[in-house]
Amino acid sequence: MAKHDTPMLDELEKGPWPSFVTDMKRQAETHPECWDILGQLELSYEDKITHWKHGGIVGVFGYGGGIVGRYSDVPDRFPGVEHFHTVRVNQPAGLYYSTENLRALMDLWDKYGSGMTNMHGSTGDMILLGTRTENLEPLFWDLTHDLKQDLGGSGSNLRTPSCCLGESRCEWACYDTQDICYALTMHYQDEIHRPAFPYKFKFKFSGCANDCVAAIARSDFAVIGTWKDDIQIDQAAVKEYVAGNYPSNGGSHKDGDWGPFNLKKEVIDLCPTQCMWMEGDELKIDNSECNRCMHCINVMPRALRPGKEKGATICMGAKAPILDGAQFATMIIPFIEVSKENEYENIIDVIERIWDWWMEVGKNRERVGETMQRVGLPTFLSVMEVEPIPQHVKEPRSNPYVFWKEEEVPGGFERDIVEFRKRHAA
Amino acid sequence: MAMSKEEVEAAIIEKAKKAPKPQLYIKDFYKCAPDMKPRQIKNIANKLVQKGELMFWSSGSTTMYARPDRIKDEEGSEGIN
Repeated sequence: MAKHDTPMLDELEKGPWPSFVTDMKRQAETHPECWDILGQLELSYEDKITHWKHGGIVGVFGYGGGIVGRYSDVPDRFPGVEHFHTVRVNQPAGLYYSTENLRALMDLWDKYGSGMTNMHGSTGDMILLGTRTENLEPLFWDLTHDLKQDLGGSGSNLRTPSCCLGESRCEWACYDTQDICYALTMHYQDEIHRPAFPYKFKFKFSGCANDCVAAIARSDFAVIGTWKDDIQIDQAAVKEYVAGNYPSNGGSHKDGDWGPFNLKKEVIDLCPTQCMWMEGDELKIDNSECNRCMHCINVMPRALRPGKEKGATICMGAKAPILDGAQFATMIIPFIEVSKENEYENIIDVIERIWDWWMEVGKNRERVGETMQRVGLPTFLSVMEVEPIPQHVKEPRSNPYVFWKEEEVPGGFERDIVEFRKRHAA
Repeated sequence: MAMSKEEVEAAIIEKAKKAPKPQLYIKDFYKCAPDMKPRQIKNIANKLVQKGELMFWSSGSTTMYARPDRIKDEEGSEGIN
């Protein structure tokens, strides 16, 4: 029996699509506080303003992240959501769960919280929605001691690292994404659990340029698998694709009426750098022009494979819109080896170089991508000790000025600024 | 001469006591020890949380530091977006 009238929310149960309102009503049968979420949300629709107070001093002892405080600003009317804190649980690398683990987590959340979840949050964590302050420490104890799981990052912490499923299932993975994700999660426990930075900082690891965790769009530090040498070609398999004996895209589109496979139309003409052509019945690639986008490999997986000399590209500075608009990451390091043999020492070295700089130069609540934008890419590259290359240049014609430092010019130059200003006022 | 860890701790506590706003960003503490690297200052501030001299205050997206006696209890916290 509904505790509050919710005529506007009830509208959202109509139509063929799944409805969160229906889900919450079902959940309210066992967790009555869910009626108060619906009641408060209906009130928000009426008032056209949120009734959540955001933030506060909740947390578990020793941690400065992992719990996000939520309080109702109308607790007298909706006591079930007086406290409604969010708990972020560090997800397993590649999002592999056993059903036993999922059941244990849900039992735990039924015991201490509303039973409502968000699988997963955009950072990657499992999000447990809605509990009271007094439940936090017992929940944390059971989570860490019985389930051997930990909270994720929130606030100005390193956020929970996330990765694609990598070598565990994907033959295109150019490095072991799950291993580096786990290794860096353990290496940076302090940064994940306690605030460290001017604002949030996210790592994401994708095994190839298909970028299944969307690292390039939503992480400050995206490690995206790539290769240095030539794409591996099996010419016999190319012929099979041309003959229509192998389905394109691994058979993903076989149920549609797309007509016979057309290698020129579907692969060669769609290559972003136009680096492919046919010579007789052989496929040729100018690998020096290839930008490793993965399109041709996706279409003809039995004929083409990534090269053998594998590693990753590091892109930095992506973010969702908060201060400025949304921003894609900028490629900073075209190729870096990713090796568990050296415990990812070279990646850690790059990460800490950025952190040391950003902690000093970054403003409060400024993502590293915004700091990069503010100082400009040439300055950022010099901070990172990276030599500029043509691929760093995004818009060559938008800024025609090139500034040279004295040490960069053979023979140097002398410049008397006082003399110069006599002729050119500032 | 570089400040000792104890001197930096005292300067951070003093800053947290006297700042006009009770909640402070980690960068607000950098001036307490200009010769120290930000990561060292962060480590000292986080140790002060463990000792109960400071506490974390989180908006969900940003974490700030405060003296426990300058912050209202949870039910009364106002929050920032």
